[in-house]
Amino acid sequence: MSAIALTIDGLGVNFGGFRAVNNVSVTVFDGELRVLLGANGAGKTTLMDLVSGKTRSTQGKVFVYDTDITNWPEHRIARAGIGRKFQIPSIFRDLTVRQNLEVANCRNPSVLANLRFGFSRAEADRVDDVLTLTGLEAEQEMTAAYLSHGQTQWLELGMLIVQDPKVVLLDEPTAGMTQAETRKTAEIINNLKGRHTILVVEHDMGFVREIAEHITVLHLGEVLAEGSVEDIERNPKVREAYLGSKGIS
Amino acid sequence: MSIERKFQIAAYVIFISLIFAAPVIGDEFWLNRISKYLVYGMLGVAIALTWGYAGILNLGQGLFFGVGAYMLAMSLKLSSLTSLQQGSDKPVPDFMLWNAEPGAPTELCCINKGSFLWLPFQSQSVGLVLGLVLPVVIAGALGMLVFRKRISGVFVSIITLALVLLVRLVMVDAQPVTNGFNGLTDLGWLTIGGIEFDPYSRATYYLCAACLSLTLIGARLIVETRAGMILQAIRDDHVRARYLGFDVSLYQVFFFVISAGIAGVAGMLYVVVAEFASPTFMDLSFSVTMVVWAAVGGRSSLLGACIGAILINIIEAEVSETEALVEAWKAIIGLIFVLVVLFMPRGLGGAAHDVVRWFVRKPKPGQPFPALPQQSEVL
Repeated sequence: MSAIALTIDGLGVNFGGFRAVNNVSVTVFDGELRVLLGANGAGKTTLMDLVSGKTRSTQGKVFVYDTDITNWPEHRIARAGIGRKFQIPSIFRDLTVRQNLEVANCRNPSVLANLRFGFSRAEADRVDDVLTLTGLEAEQEMTAAYLSHGQTQWLELGMLIVQDPKVVLLDEPTAGMTQAETRKTAEIINNLKGRHTILVVEHDMGFVREIAEHITVLHLGEVLAEGSVEDIERNPKVREAYLGSKGIS
Repeated sequence: MSIERKFQIAAYVIFISLIFAAPVIGDEFWLNRISKYLVYGMLGVAIALTWGYAGILNLGQGLFFGVGAYMLAMSLKLSSLTSLQQGSDKPVPDFMLWNAEPGAPTELCCINKGSFLWLPFQSQSVGLVLGLVLPVVIAGALGMLVFRKRISGVFVSIITLALVLLVRLVMVDAQPVTNGFNGLTDLGWLTIGGIEFDPYSRATYYLCAACLSLTLIGARLIVETRAGMILQAIRDDHVRARYLGFDVSLYQVFFFVISAGIAGVAGMLYVVVAEFASPTFMDLSFSVTMVVWAAVGGRSSLLGACIGAILINIIEAEVSETEALVEAWKAIIGLIFVLVVLFMPRGLGGAAHDVVRWFVRKPKPGQPFPALPQQSEVL
């Protein structure tokens, strides 16, 4: 059995009496791709906010490997090895595509360490590789604000790949994408599999089938079920709570 | 190297050559006036650095300028002849004697309650060092408070604005120590390594030109570093930057402090050139005027903001001294601002950039002209 990359232990948050996430425990193994499924309001995004430090939890703990990162500031969590892609794509709009990736490529985050010019050959190669992987080579000198929606999403994925975190959190990476774009996104994510531990929030079942091994279903802030795609499709509780009587279509 | 980059380097080289060549064409009076404008150019660079590159609109840059100015002015005041001819063998500022209580000792230590603060300023180097260090320390402390609390956008502007007014009030109120509204006048000359900087000499002009050139080149180099790129990334999306592992507030504080340091040095140079320091440096209108210079010159262009500051002041001087326009000059300056904001939202720097791009990438027939990047609104 491989090591546990991400441990969420009894995590919860209380927004003035409303428990958006309540006593959620999930363990994700090194190199695993885990999909978080759940209806609107099930607490998927809130769970990601809790793990990545955007929201402070009121109960439970989060570990990256053996490091307790519960309620650390965001940048320290990021340095501990958690990378995050937002639901609404967030990139540096006034920088070029290449510069966006170069910012993610600055390994040492301190100000003084970055008072230097340019990038080494190896670092530049790395950016080139990611440009190829995301299909953005032709746009690398373009201001990022002018990318299409799909390209923006890929750029953000690319920044994550360059950042090279141990654990990648992806919040609906295919939201608003055409079918062709979704397929390409699945390709990029499949390419990450194995090298990174990935936790994906997703609605699109076609996409989930294409990438998922293991699914965790959230419902009203709690874990409802966990298992393979087939297990989840057959699980009566899941059908009732989320999928309706027709199952996964 | 891209052609655009060659144009940029050429622009810096031409500008710096021009300011160093200027003494050839003007008399001392004119040179003294241009020296002041070069100092304003430094303020333009300082504003562009925080506003354009960091997205921090500081409406209280006059605070750092004023503090720098007062620090050096205190030293120069003590080396002035008027301070030495007050019936004491040690220098005492004249205004302290005029306002001294009867029987008070005519010594800096105890002529009034606050006068001991002046003691270290008997050495010019103390004034010179503090003129840089104090603005930097204030900016560092303020920045740590504001940026650690994740205050951003218009709230930073309001805090800085309130702070400069507060300090101005204190300076005016502390009349026995600061000479209040009147400020510090009758100053001696700055002397460094045996060179006396007579405000109407070429040496002083070259000092200002050198400081401006160093500021421009230094600021330009620093925004070209990785840290400068990360700073711009933070301006665009500080949340994203945080999740890449950057401690956003440290970057903001770092560049805020550099900007304050530039303003502090500018304040000191202004005192050398204009021979006074006054609370008007901390007027709200002066801090806002700096922002206007940067807006006209182009806040995302360091050289643009610098040229904007110099150009507006030259126009202002010309217009206000033309008899027919004496009454109208403020309206004319206002009109220029309105026109620039309406038709060149990225200022002169942005317009120059577009022109260069247009020459470099003339569209081939049948192909649409490539879209130009727009600056996203900072506020």
